[in-house]
Amino acid sequence: MNLLQYLPGNSILHRLNPVAKLAAAFLLGICAIVSQSVIFTTLLIVLLLGICFACGLGKRALGLTRNLLVLGGMMFILQLFFVRSGDPMLSAGGFTLITQDGLSSAVLLGLRIIATMLPLMLLFAITEMNDLCGALVKRLHVPYRYAFIVTTAFRFVPLFTAEFHDIEDAQKARGVEYDGGLIKKLKLSVPLFVPLLMSSLKKVDSGAMSAQLRGFNLRTVSSGYREYPFTAADIGCILLSVLMIAAAAMI
Amino acid sequence: MIRFQDFSFRYQSGKTEQPAEFALKDISMEIREGEFVGITGTSGAGKSTLTYSISGLIPHHFAGDFYGSVEVNGMDTVEVHPEQLARFVGQVFQDIDSQMVSSVVEDEILFGMENFQIPRDEIKRRLESVLEMLEITPLRRRQISSLSGGQKQKVAIASILALQPDIILLDEPTGELDPESTIMIYEILRRLNREFHKTVIVVEQKIMVLCAYVSRLIVLDKGQVMFDGSSDSITGEIELFKSLGINVPRVVELGHLLKKAGLYDGEIPTELDGAEKMVREVCADAEI
Ligand SMILES: Nc1ncnc2c1ncn2[C@@H]1O[C@H](COP(=O)(O)OP(=O)(O)OP(=O)(O)O)[C@@H](O)[C@H]1O
Ligand SMILES: [Mg+2]
Repeated sequence: MNLLQYLPGNSILHRLNPVAKLAAAFLLGICAIVSQSVIFTTLLIVLLLGICFACGLGKRALGLTRNLLVLGGMMFILQLFFVRSGDPMLSAGGFTLITQDGLSSAVLLGLRIIATMLPLMLLFAITEMNDLCGALVKRLHVPYRYAFIVTTAFRFVPLFTAEFHDIEDAQKARGVEYDGGLIKKLKLSVPLFVPLLMSSLKKVDSGAMSAQLRGFNLRTVSSGYREYPFTAADIGCILLSVLMIAAAAMI
Repeated sequence: MIRFQDFSFRYQSGKTEQPAEFALKDISMEIREGEFVGITGTSGAGKSTLTYSISGLIPHHFAGDFYGSVEVNGMDTVEVHPEQLARFVGQVFQDIDSQMVSSVVEDEILFGMENFQIPRDEIKRRLESVLEMLEITPLRRRQISSLSGGQKQKVAIASILALQPDIILLDEPTGELDPESTIMIYEILRRLNREFHKTVIVVEQKIMVLCAYVSRLIVLDKGQVMFDGSSDSITGEIELFKSLGINVPRVVELGHLLKKAGLYDGEIPTELDGAEKMVREVCADAEI
């Protein structure tokens, strides 16, 4: 499963203005960074998951959380052993392994990583890249060219992964064994990056040609067919996110 | 109308490499309005290059040495920009996935029309009409990545048709399709050609299909035009086709063999109906 892929749907989250979604994702990320409380950050994560389940995005949200847990876990361990201040909690042979401060800041950091990344990654599940591009141009007056480049880059990710698997399969067919340790897999994968890069460049080029032949360079701000009006729900969503930051700062 | 005059093109090669071979060499020909032209040839023969030189991507997108001239509807492709040409020429590329700029069917069709600043209500009208024409109205809100090859091909054609070009170029549109979808795409092309009077130029490896639909066949080899004639007249050129490594339709080959063996001396058929008649004739003769 591709964790950045759009999940078609018609929930309240899906129907929000793409700009509002983007803003809310950023604001919630800030909220998680501002928060100094383990409980608040945990509640934030639970709240996010709850909203996702309500909107039929539960499976994706759990999948993302699981992946983020790995990252969060790594940060947790690093933090746990690097923070040296505070009362010792665990020591071996007169050497302090874990301190109180270390533990609490490690828990917070791990949770914070999850709470920051989750909304940003969910953004991809509920936002069509084309709509994001269109809304950025119409509402925020981002130059079309840049909005297009960024959103297209994200659209190409699944195409590249498919390509990578094709190349890998081709290698397997020639008898290359990919099973085994991570290091071995990495070693075998590195030579694949050159063909991947070549074929990717070719794909990007043919995309560029097709865009060019359909008048890409003639585009102006007024070109977009769709309008992306802000609704009460969008404003509510942004306000709510701002309130969350305020709450995080106070607790 | 498209006119090639002593046209040759060589892609730019790296500084250290020696100059590349000409991808197209001494092309002089005309393609008139309303023609349905098939282009075939082995891999690397220059088929895609020929399509790029009609849509103006050569010389504007691909650098290289350009000799002679190519005119499309009276415009010199060197002088006008591909965007201007795009009002007259629409191109569907060989790689179907990477030419899509959107993830939803409807957005893909809107893209060109938005760029060309077509008025809102006209956009809506055209969108609905091309969706209907290609029978993809139910796919309107679908993710392109979830479509079959034939459906994707239809979306690509629809996104071009929405711009209402006179000339439609397609580079191996059925390369990844099963026989059924292949026929479906060719039926659409035939309709565009006959009912909507579009000039259709299609690159195709499956010569059997090509012969059944196109009115004119062009065979390229190593950048040169080796054959240019009606699809019926290929029956006289079997040796040539074989020497170029191009598979002729089986029925044509059969007719050719029967003729060579002195068993048959009528016209060599290009389609199954004719083949049946020929075989019956031969059998009837053999019994006497
Ligand atoms: N971008 C490029 N740069 C340099 N050389 C190229 C480029 N594209 C094609 N060529 C060369 O030009 C020649 C003709 O290529 P072209 O793609 O037109 O062939 P084709 O008939 O379309 O083949 P295929 O059936 O494989 O698509 C080939 O020798 C090819 O290597
Ligand atoms: Mg080609």
